Amino acid sequence: MSKKILSVDDDPDIIVFVKTVLEENGYTPLIAKNGEAGLAMAKAEKPSLVILDVLMPKQSGIRMYRELKSDPELKHIPVIMLSGIAKRTFLRSQEALTEFGDEPVPEPSAYIEKPVDPRELAETIARFVK
Amino acid sequence: MKTKKLLFVTQFEELWFDALQSLMDLRKAGFNHVVFLHVIERDKVAMKRGKGYLKDEEVKLREIANVRFIDWAESLFEQGMEVGAYIIVGNVLPKIISTVEEESVDLIVTGRHKKGKIEELYAGSETVEILRRTSTPVLVYKYMLPSGKINEKPFEQPLLALDWSESTDRIVEYLLNFKEIMRKVIVVHVASAKDLKSPSAMEIQATRKANRQKMDDVCEAFQKAGIEAEPHLYIGNTCEQIEKAAQEREATMVVVGATGQSKLKEIFLGSVARNLAENSAFPTLLIPAHMKVDNR
Repeated sequence: MSKKILSVDDDPDIIVFVKTVLEENGYTPLIAKNGEAGLAMAKAEKPSLVILDVLMPKQSGIRMYRELKSDPELKHIPVIMLSGIAKRTFLRSQEALTEFGDEPVPEPSAYIEKPVDPRELAETIARFVK
Repeated sequence: MKTKKLLFVTQFEELWFDALQSLMDLRKAGFNHVVFLHVIERDKVAMKRGKGYLKDEEVKLREIANVRFIDWAESLFEQGMEVGAYIIVGNVLPKIISTVEEESVDLIVTGRHKKGKIEELYAGSETVEILRRTSTPVLVYKYMLPSGKINEKPFEQPLLALDWSESTDRIVEYLLNFKEIMRKVIVVHVASAKDLKSPSAMEIQATRKANRQKMDDVCEAFQKAGIEAEPHLYIGNTCEQIEKAAQEREATMVVVGATGQSKLKEIFLGSVARNLAENSAFPTLLIPAHMKVDNR
């Protein structure tokens, strides 16, 4: 059975792009359009990997990442951040939240700044999903 | 403290990131989540004769907004804020209302949109319409104070204009949400000249005293919360006197209740809230009469 990969992004073009890359590489895509829906889907489906945008409605990828990595049942799932927001910003925001009293969280498995090449995305996924 | 959401509505003409930066003090009042909304007005991408829907134009406008929002979001994320963004094609007013519902925001920040007289008469005021259709307060942001200074802390010294309507207590209660960032509240009531028409000096003084007593009670509510407060009674045209009082007392913002009268009445009679939102030189916080106050 093909591995399930959850993509969380609100941009319709990126949704189609990621879905196509996943299907062409033999994975089963799961799609959510914001962090809130993404977290609910991660809990329900336990995907093998999560591809996560940062700037989204309802709940950002920064919050969703933090919640994912704080959940004992989900924290082992590798996460590839795929965003227009710089990696430096993502890391600083996590540091800021830790300073405000949240638990520290590890860095994501990979961070790709948009735009992304389909081959780069497929190779990055393959590093974490065997 | 409950995390509160601020909806920042910008068309990139009237409201920029520096406005948002001046509102960062709101974090002390629990506002840790900012949602950006940019509406690409339908007529910019709508069908044109012989051209069809301008998809390329939509993509271009969407990406321009996206680049700006990413830049703004990076600054906020690095300060530990939560940020969301909507870039939507449509008509501004319904999109604001749907986003307010979708995100359950606690405060809407908009700029001032100047319209032609005819358009204003028929379309009504966008701001007042938002207040009528949501129960969410709206801050109509203005950059400069009449003194020429940049308004760096709009919530520092608000002028609270009260008309003693049923919603007075709710307005006071809502404003207390911002106690961490208010230094002083200037409580103002404007009595109209006809209220003081009595030929008897005693009756006029009695009216003054009654108003003064009500203002003292409001001031006491703020003082109990550790905020300085002072009452002032003005006489004359309500909007003109509120503006005058704000200038004389060096207010940083004007706060008024919006009574939610019918649209028809609104168009023909106007309202204090609408007038101040559109014409006051000060940032204007409009609080809907039917709002539920959640003081946490």
